[in-house]
Amino acid sequence: MPDQRLDLPQGTLDLLILRTLALGPQHGWGISERVQQTSSDLLHIQQGSLYPALHRLERRGWIKARWGTSDNNRRAKYYELTKAGTRRLQLETETWKKLTAAVALVLGPC
Amino acid sequence: MLTDLLSRMRSLLWRKVVEDELETELRFHRERQLQKYQASGLTEAEALHRLGLEFGGLDQVKEECRDARGVRIMETLVQDLRYGLRTLRNSPGFTAVAVLTLALGIGANTAIFSLVYGVLLRPLPYKDASRLIMLNETTPRVGLVSVSYPNFVDWRSQCRAFADMAAVVGVGLNLSGVTQPEHVSGQAVSPNFLTLLGLHPLLGRDFDLSEEKLGAAPVVLLSYPLWQSHFGGDPNAVGRTLTLDGRSCTIIGVLPPEFRWMEKADLLEPFGVFATNNQDYLERSERGDTAVVGRLAPGSSFTQARAEMEAIAARLAKDWPGSNDQFGVALRPIRDVFVSEIRPAIMLLFAAVIFVLLIACANVTNLFLMRGAGRTREMALRIAIGATRGRVIAQLLAESLILTSLGGVAGVGLAVAAIRGIGSLLPADRLAGAGIDLNGPALLFTAVLVVLAAFVFGLAPALQATKADVQSELKEGGRSTSEGTGQGRWRGILAIAEVALSLILLVGAGLMMKSLYRLLSEDAGIRTERVLTMAMSLRTAQYNKDPMILNFWDRVLHGVRELPGIEAAALGTAIPLTDGHDRTDITIEGMALPKPGSFPHPDLHIVSPAYVEALGIRLLRGRTFMDMDNESAPHVAMINARLARQYFASADPVGKRFMFGHPSPKRQPEWITITGVVGDTKLYGLANPARMEVYLPFRQSVSGSMTLILRSAIDPAALTSESRGVIASIDKDQPVFGIATMQELVRNSVSTRRISFIVMGAFSGLALVLAAIGIYGVISYSVAQRAHEIGIRVALGARPGDVLRMVLGQGAKIAAAGVVIGIVASFVLTRLMTNLLYNVSPADPVTFAVVTVLLALIALIASWIPARRTLRVDPIAALRRE
Repeated sequence: MPDQRLDLPQGTLDLLILRTLALGPQHGWGISERVQQTSSDLLHIQQGSLYPALHRLERRGWIKARWGTSDNNRRAKYYELTKAGTRRLQLETETWKKLTAAVALVLGPC
Repeated sequence: MLTDLLSRMRSLLWRKVVEDELETELRFHRERQLQKYQASGLTEAEALHRLGLEFGGLDQVKEECRDARGVRIMETLVQDLRYGLRTLRNSPGFTAVAVLTLALGIGANTAIFSLVYGVLLRPLPYKDASRLIMLNETTPRVGLVSVSYPNFVDWRSQCRAFADMAAVVGVGLNLSGVTQPEHVSGQAVSPNFLTLLGLHPLLGRDFDLSEEKLGAAPVVLLSYPLWQSHFGGDPNAVGRTLTLDGRSCTIIGVLPPEFRWMEKADLLEPFGVFATNNQDYLERSERGDTAVVGRLAPGSSFTQARAEMEAIAARLAKDWPGSNDQFGVALRPIRDVFVSEIRPAIMLLFAAVIFVLLIACANVTNLFLMRGAGRTREMALRIAIGATRGRVIAQLLAESLILTSLGGVAGVGLAVAAIRGIGSLLPADRLAGAGIDLNGPALLFTAVLVVLAAFVFGLAPALQATKADVQSELKEGGRSTSEGTGQGRWRGILAIAEVALSLILLVGAGLMMKSLYRLLSEDAGIRTERVLTMAMSLRTAQYNKDPMILNFWDRVLHGVRELPGIEAAALGTAIPLTDGHDRTDITIEGMALPKPGSFPHPDLHIVSPAYVEALGIRLLRGRTFMDMDNESAPHVAMINARLARQYFASADPVGKRFMFGHPSPKRQPEWITITGVVGDTKLYGLANPARMEVYLPFRQSVSGSMTLILRSAIDPAALTSESRGVIASIDKDQPVFGIATMQELVRNSVSTRRISFIVMGAFSGLALVLAAIGIYGVISYSVAQRAHEIGIRVALGARPGDVLRMVLGQGAKIAAAGVVIGIVASFVLTRLMTNLLYNVSPADPVTFAVVTVLLALIALIASWIPARRTLRVDPIAALRRE
């Protein structure tokens, strides 16, 4: 199993977080679970990189945090996308698509 | 941007809250993960183990989150500042010297520049002051002289280059009816005076042009300070009256607060009012105390104005030879007149303080380089164990920040104190109302310069450490590489520069000191010890007849002679070492008549009998005045040696006769017989050569304005209140002014030179100390760096003396190079201060020699103290330390 996990290329973590939050407010653990699920367990986000990334995104004003109650009735910090974050997500998604398409072209059909 | 800042601020200000939140957030994550693992069938222990493997240390995550929040920069700044403070506390010597150097550099410069700005640069409070010109008459016998009023009237009507001109006459007036009777200084002016300057009264009205004519009703404009002090700033003062010289005058207005004139002006009166009581001013030959100010017409230049005025003066000289022969005209921009006396001294101080600034910068640089070089190893070590280059630089910057802030604050304090000190040293009348206060731009400029030096050179070690290969820096202690490189050479050059600059300053101060000494040893022709002087100017309305005036003077003399300790009491009109004495043309009986402008033109004294004794003037021939030289006796006079020498050559002047003015067929000559010849006195200051003088007995030429001179057996200042008492008992409304001992007058007469010397002396002392610190620093650093080498030398058999000599030699080289450069530069620069020197050559060999020896000695001591340390070098320890 561990062999199948992928390392995240530089810069993609922010994109994943923003994309996940586009679905609705979520706490840190929820984000990592969601990414894991939607990537068919190929992508695992480590706590050690997730939280610094969240704090960085918050400082940049792309996401904002508020305290809420989780489904198991615990106090949890929920993050949600700001307007600037939504714009950022669009931009990054386009860039990512262009990049992967370009890389795919270079690699050619296998 | 804003969210960024807010987020950082929040993290910094509510650090506790943010930390707690982070803790909660991370704990929540771990708990959920733990639950998930347990749900998948792991035991609690297994789940915890896996968690630990996957997630790493909690603290590390927290740290990274903090980084991500941007808290770090602020936190590290605080941390760096704290660390910096600690480091600085651990090296109090360096800290004290650095802060002191910064403070002195910043403080001294700000103070002097504030002075330069306040006195020389601050715009005069007039509209287009650069178009205002002061006009004087000139005569080859005296130089600049006052203007005759009829000449002024002709100038004004004839000269096209001036849009307008106004006459200004200095007047002393007795003010009563408000508070205590007192003497005030006023200016009688043409009514267009204020308009010409571009000023308007703050309150009330300006003079009316009709008030230039004789018979104008007495009105005055009060100066703002007088209005404040005597009327408490009451607007209703306008329209009230005050009593000037016993006459009632209406206050028509108040001058604006910014008004100032080159002479004291407590109030202004229109020329017409003044002339009504002083009709002699309307004669062309009378040149009392009149100055003329003119405003250049639009489009005309200073040169055009001068050419036109010279032509007019030449025409007047031809038309009125009796009064105007050989009289010319001089034009000076008004700014020059305001500062003419004090400008050279201030420029000297300005130059000196720039040197001090350079020395301070060199010293700060040197200090920081020295300290930095000693720390390259520390920096290399920090980098080796993981500090980033930016982090090391930030920490050094924090240290510089602390030092420069401390230095800056101390510097401002110093500047404020120095400005106050210099202000009190400068005689107010030389400043002509120029205010000196802390100059912001100057402070900023100096501070930036010195602080920049500190920052740039404080960074040197970090740059060097990060540039250099860390390994080689740490290997072998990194000692051998530091010395002998560029930095060491730089420090040497800086120390040489400091020595050279100090030498220049010391030479300057030495020359000033010698000038002052020479000047004060000049014979003023009087004995100054235990003499008190006080002036009185009788109210012309009350004392309008000669017998009344004489009666008053007689009673004053009788009264003060009763006081204890009085050895001699006398009255005179022209006290030596003060300015503005009367002069007049005389004709000596039997002389070949010269052209009207070449008659002898001596200064005039009107004196009471004991004058010569009271001032200690030498009687060379004949007799002094006696009580018998009164109204009904034949007119007599004394002359001074200079006049006797020039006009009587080898003959004895006693018994010879002269008359005032020029011979005229229209009037009978009134001959005056010379009864005595006295020694010359320095009427116009110690530096100015004695002029011809004529003394007249006060009963034969009555004057209502005289100075009482008391020679006493005791401290003369103690006589002040008793003498005032005597005068008040004769006339309680009579003000006394200008109370000063003769020695104070001597001091005042050299005040500009004295303050130049004091400040120069202070600066050069400062420079000397800074240069000594510079040399000390270089040598002491070099000794520390060369401990290894010295150890080897000692181990190989060098005697302590050899090593000491080697190190001292290094100091001697610096001193010698600095002295040579300094001497050459001084030869060039001191020539610029020639006009501030008196009887001393700017290349005075004695001064140069003394200064050189002094500086060499200081350099020797500064290198000897650290050099001594080599004697204690233990070769084993020095070698093992590597």
